[in-house]
Amino acid sequence: MSSIATQAPLKSSAGPHSEHKSSMGPVLDVALRVLLFATALVAIIVMVTSKQTKLIPVAPGIAVPVAAKFNHSPAFIYFVAALSVACLYGIITGFLSVLALMKPGGVPTKLQIHFVMFDALLLGIVAAATGTAGGVAYIGLKGNSHSGWNKICNTYGSYCFHFASSILLSLISSITLLLLVWLSLYVLSKKIARRAI
Amino acid sequence: METQFKEVEVVNRKTSFTVKDLAVRLLALALTLVATVLLGVDKETTTVSVKLVSSLPPVDLPVTAKWTQMSAFVFFVIANAIACSYGAASLILILVTRGRNKLVPIMVTILDLVMVGLLFSGVGATSSIGVIAYKGNSHVQWDKVCNVFDKFCQQVAIAIFMSFAGGIAYLLLIVLAALKLHK
Repeated sequence: MSSIATQAPLKSSAGPHSEHKSSMGPVLDVALRVLLFATALVAIIVMVTSKQTKLIPVAPGIAVPVAAKFNHSPAFIYFVAALSVACLYGIITGFLSVLALMKPGGVPTKLQIHFVMFDALLLGIVAAATGTAGGVAYIGLKGNSHSGWNKICNTYGSYCFHFASSILLSLISSITLLLLVWLSLYVLSKKIARRAI
Repeated sequence: METQFKEVEVVNRKTSFTVKDLAVRLLALALTLVATVLLGVDKETTTVSVKLVSSLPPVDLPVTAKWTQMSAFVFFVIANAIACSYGAASLILILVTRGRNKLVPIMVTILDLVMVGLLFSGVGATSSIGVIAYKGNSHVQWDKVCNVFDKFCQQVAIAIFMSFAGGIAYLLLIVLAALKLHK
């Protein structure tokens, strides 16, 4: 993409090179939004299907089956809610981006500004969800001796594995949102620069 | 009001910053500084009466709650410290290279976005730990701690709000940068 960017200032008006460059931005935009939708969806599915039941011995000789589900902790409920918002946002904006791709002018500037604002807002929400689930999962993994909170990952191994992969996927989602805002700002600044020439 | 700010932009060759930008950046710097300091000096020592042996009367043990005991709080303090020092550095950089350097506004906007993500994830981690400490979690046998450490928990809550406001301020900076590109 950098090699195409160095060719753009040489041609002042819309030529084949700038047209090629202007079609690269929206395609990358759509691809990133699809990635956002996919990672958010998989993170939600992995988190929701994380139920595990284990037999916990409460007294010598008696073992009670205790289930661990994701909705036992409000942190994970927020995680699923935030990522479903991100998933829905990915679908809607991906659809709008594909529609804009078919038009010759690319995405209109006003829509791009709104994309930037909502992308940045959603980055905040998804980053908060990642941090929230990560904090609780870290305590579940290591325990905390100072507050008397025991670790649970030694008994519920697959439950913790579901969390870890889910949190990793939401981290990828937030990085995707970061790249989307960077891309939108880059495309907007190039549009302004081209208009000023 | 709008034309006033536009005039300032045109005079400074369109790549410089308006007073609005600098004010919001200063606000973000101040908020993250307050959040870092609030949690960084948060320490509470109370006595808890513990029955060691059932025949003897309960013994008073001093217990301390410090922010270093919880890794989420450590992450919060580090994230806010990074955001605060970045706010100071970017403020100084913008004031020094006002309008002359084309690369500085772009780099600052890029790093502003990283700060948004960092601050919000710190807020999320600390508030999830705070909710567990406040209400406990019966499913995993994690007891609530905030009934004992009242002042500690209150200070953590205030620090979370400050950091959240700082994150919103950085978000506002991104929105201002995007709107500036629109004009």
